[in-house]
Amino acid sequence: MISYIKELISYRELLIALTKREIKIRYKQTTLGSAWAVLQPFSLMLIFSLVFGVFLGLESQGLPYPVFYYSALLTWLFFSTSMSFGSHSVINNSNLVAKVYFPRETLPLASLGAAVLDLMVASIIFVLMMAYYNIPLSFNLIYLIPIIFILILFTLSVVLFTSALVVIWRDLKFVVPLVVQIWMFASPIIYPVNKVPENLQFFYMLNPMAVVIENFRRVTLFAKEPVFSQILTAAVISVILFFISYYFFKIKEKSFADII
Amino acid sequence: MNLQMPIVFGDVYKSYSIRRLKYKRLAEDVGQIFQRLVTRKKRTLQSEKFFALNGISFKVKKGESLGIIGKNGAGKTTILKLISKVTYPDSGEITVNGKIGAFIELGAGLHPELSGRENIFLYGAILGMTKKEIDEKFESIVKFSGLRKFLDTPIKRYSSGMYARLGFSVVSFMDPDILLIDEVLAVGDKNFQQKCLTKMHNFSKSDKTLIFISHNLDAVKKICDKVLVIEKGKIVFEGSTDLAIKTYLDLFPKSR
Repeated sequence: MISYIKELISYRELLIALTKREIKIRYKQTTLGSAWAVLQPFSLMLIFSLVFGVFLGLESQGLPYPVFYYSALLTWLFFSTSMSFGSHSVINNSNLVAKVYFPRETLPLASLGAAVLDLMVASIIFVLMMAYYNIPLSFNLIYLIPIIFILILFTLSVVLFTSALVVIWRDLKFVVPLVVQIWMFASPIIYPVNKVPENLQFFYMLNPMAVVIENFRRVTLFAKEPVFSQILTAAVISVILFFISYYFFKIKEKSFADII
Repeated sequence: MNLQMPIVFGDVYKSYSIRRLKYKRLAEDVGQIFQRLVTRKKRTLQSEKFFALNGISFKVKKGESLGIIGKNGAGKTTILKLISKVTYPDSGEITVNGKIGAFIELGAGLHPELSGRENIFLYGAILGMTKKEIDEKFESIVKFSGLRKFLDTPIKRYSSGMYARLGFSVVSFMDPDILLIDEVLAVGDKNFQQKCLTKMHNFSKSDKTLIFISHNLDAVKKICDKVLVIEKGKIVFEGSTDLAIKTYLDLFPKSR
């Protein structure tokens, strides 16, 4: 494992170059360019507020619907775009993988890197929204660091798995978006977490995305501390999953050029 | 002095599956697993294998320029892919000592949506060059490629000759210990071909190691000091360039 990471570090220049490429080509020849990074969560936020808020009158923990939904969509869209771009990152570069040697994990990592940039751009709108709704800030915002860390590490772990699996079984190309859809309903995006039955809460919170979204809201919108037991559980799950999926990826990597 | 051989192949076998040259189908795999569970037999469907390399052994000394010739599908490119660790052998030993520069296929690593300038940096990074290195060599790369006018054009608008020129220019300015070149002279005009040949010739004169695959026998004659002739995954001749070319030409049935 250490040798994998050492090699990856020696290829850091490539990782930077691939991330830049990812960012450049993602919005190339689109008129609105990187504004899409904002338009995606923003338009979804509008629709969610209208349908689930105004039409259905769902509960939003006393928060204005726009911030309630946007806060969740911010982290969720990081996960879902990373999944859709990252899972295909290896097969989309089949030409490169079949011809040139380099550590293959740079490809999913570059997709994630581009998604991090999108997340930062979309966060600017979130800050403006918080100011508009007069949401008080607190020192608890410091806990965003572990929350975002878990978000990125967990997403990376899942993407390493799916990107390798999609090479082996192309069928999974269609399974991944479906799983992401289902996953969205298993996370507190549309509804607040207190709507989940008490006896299911424990299992519900084993999903690191639920932990990330819920605690992101607590920290930013309620100026509260995160639930430390949840953060710890999610961190442990993410770290273990990362080692397993990275190892899996490196084992499967050797056959990529032959089957891609 | 470093007496290690840059490249050693010891009885290398490499096969590809014929039945599923492409990816697997999920249903097929799940089906097989069930079948195995029920019948308690080992793998019922043995996939047919095609041996691209059938027990290849050779050594390349430091400073040597090795040519590899053979018919299409003889296994030439597979050898280069094994050296550069793109793929791995079924069995046998492969030792490689030194930094590798590989130009295996035209356009691999170039991205059509990006400009020529962006591609020089991207391709350089893929070949393992640092940003600083590319910055320093950028001017020479552009000059060599002769594409200055089109530097800011997305390369999807380039012709295939321009593609090759851009790709080869970057490769030729990296500074590897071992350079692998696979059939690059097929495109590019006379003028550029000549430039490439000169470049490779200079490289082969240095104490660096070169492996050169080509169907252009004149180029092989000019550049290589030793040639392998490959036929059906086996080495049928190893030795001087002239004799190798004769052996190679004898592989083809005399027409008329």
